[in-house]
Amino acid sequence: MEDFSAVYRECYPRVLAYAASHAGSRLAEDITSETFTIAWRKLDRMPSNALPWLIGIARNLVREARRQTTHYELADLPADDAFAVIELRAALASLSESDQEVLTLIAWHGLGAAEAAQVLGCTTATFFVRLHRARRRLQAALSSANFDRARESWKTS
Amino acid sequence: MEDLMKDLAQAKPPTPEVDPQRMESDLARIITLPRERPARKQFVRRFAPLVVIAAVIVLAVVLMPAPPQPVQPAAPPKWWHALTRQWSLMIVGDPADPYAVSFDHRTERWVAANQQIAVIQKDGEVTPFSLDRGTEWEAAGKPEAVPQVGGDHLVRIGPMKPAVQKTAVSGFQMSLHSNARFDSLDSLPADPRELGKALETIIGKDAYRIGSLAMELMSANVRDDQRRAAFELLKTLDGARFLGDVTVLDERRGTGVAIAAPSTFQFTGVETQLVADPETGLPILKRDVITTPQHGLPAGTAISQEQYLLLEQVDFEPILPQDVPVNGEVESPIIER
Repeated sequence: MEDFSAVYRECYPRVLAYAASHAGSRLAEDITSETFTIAWRKLDRMPSNALPWLIGIARNLVREARRQTTHYELADLPADDAFAVIELRAALASLSESDQEVLTLIAWHGLGAAEAAQVLGCTTATFFVRLHRARRRLQAALSSANFDRARESWKTS
Repeated sequence: MEDLMKDLAQAKPPTPEVDPQRMESDLARIITLPRERPARKQFVRRFAPLVVIAAVIVLAVVLMPAPPQPVQPAAPPKWWHALTRQWSLMIVGDPADPYAVSFDHRTERWVAANQQIAVIQKDGEVTPFSLDRGTEWEAAGKPEAVPQVGGDHLVRIGPMKPAVQKTAVSGFQMSLHSNARFDSLDSLPADPRELGKALETIIGKDAYRIGSLAMELMSANVRDDQRRAAFELLKTLDGARFLGDVTVLDERRGTGVAIAAPSTFQFTGVETQLVADPETGLPILKRDVITTPQHGLPAGTAISQEQYLLLEQVDFEPILPQDVPVNGEVESPIIER
């Protein structure tokens, strides 16, 4: 039980951040709470490095929440973000859900490749391939004609 | 490409702030929930090859000369944090046809060498408890307060109001024994006999008092060897009964010991049982059980119990309910008639 509470306190902020970035701040605390409830029930299966396992549980709950509602709340994004940041988020949003997931597990949630692979249920080698492709697609999205046009319109508006 | 990932990291949405109160209240709720029973055989069958491989790797690592490690002194933890859930029964109503009420609440204690903070009556509630699956309280018109049987007070049905108590103390004060205070828990003997002598000098030669103090020490910030000594001491007390391996609550397994307890104002023939984790010595459950049938309750019924939810060293400051004044009035559910 001591171990569980230590893991809980250590990982709670990161699971919350994951839930908030994928399901919005309104649902984030509930998803985090449910994640740890499931983790407690399955405590005997909790690995020593619990974070990827917990994020894997949270990921399933986020997907379930999305299935149950026709639209889900996106993360609250500050309106005064720099242009480059807005552009990058828009390019990310134009990618497939699986590409977004691969990229954000590394860039936003600070997981290593092996940990991210564990969350997604694939091998590390497969994850590297998926990451490489997702990066390429993000780069392509950023330099696509649509974005160039959008960039121009933002500059002039 | 690397720059792209760095840029993407910059575009991370703002991380939500953790609400410490929500976090702790969720934790307290979660750890009271039942856990899945481990599928041991299946686990062993599935992971036995991995265990063998891991053992070989561990052996190889152990046999390799270890590089010198820089020594980094760890900051000592500030608080001993204990979260417990208390439940007890009280016989109420018409003495000729009594029923019971149950008190269910949590206590959270933060103990340091020179101060103690307790949140009492947390998530507390008093509810009617039928002795024979009847509806005595409903039949009595659902009174808000009911008279104790054999006592002078009333018991108020409904939610309890939490209270925060903060005291500055010198040394470690034991809550069940007002005269037991230790300048240092670390200096307590780790030998059962020596520990028994040390406790005897503080509270006298009374088996139950020594036993209950030993139980309290087991839930305090002592070392594992001291905790084990306290459990061994309990087994050697006059009239103590070793219960062996027992399963309590949601299938938690532990080792139990029972000592005869004094009568309460409503129950006689009571024994206090303590079940501890055999590996760590940390207590799991303490309960008072009647040894003879009373008030329609069969022998072996628990009339009160304390479940140890969290016993841990923490290095963060106590998280207290914001809307409860510190050292304000304690609104007890037991009131004057």
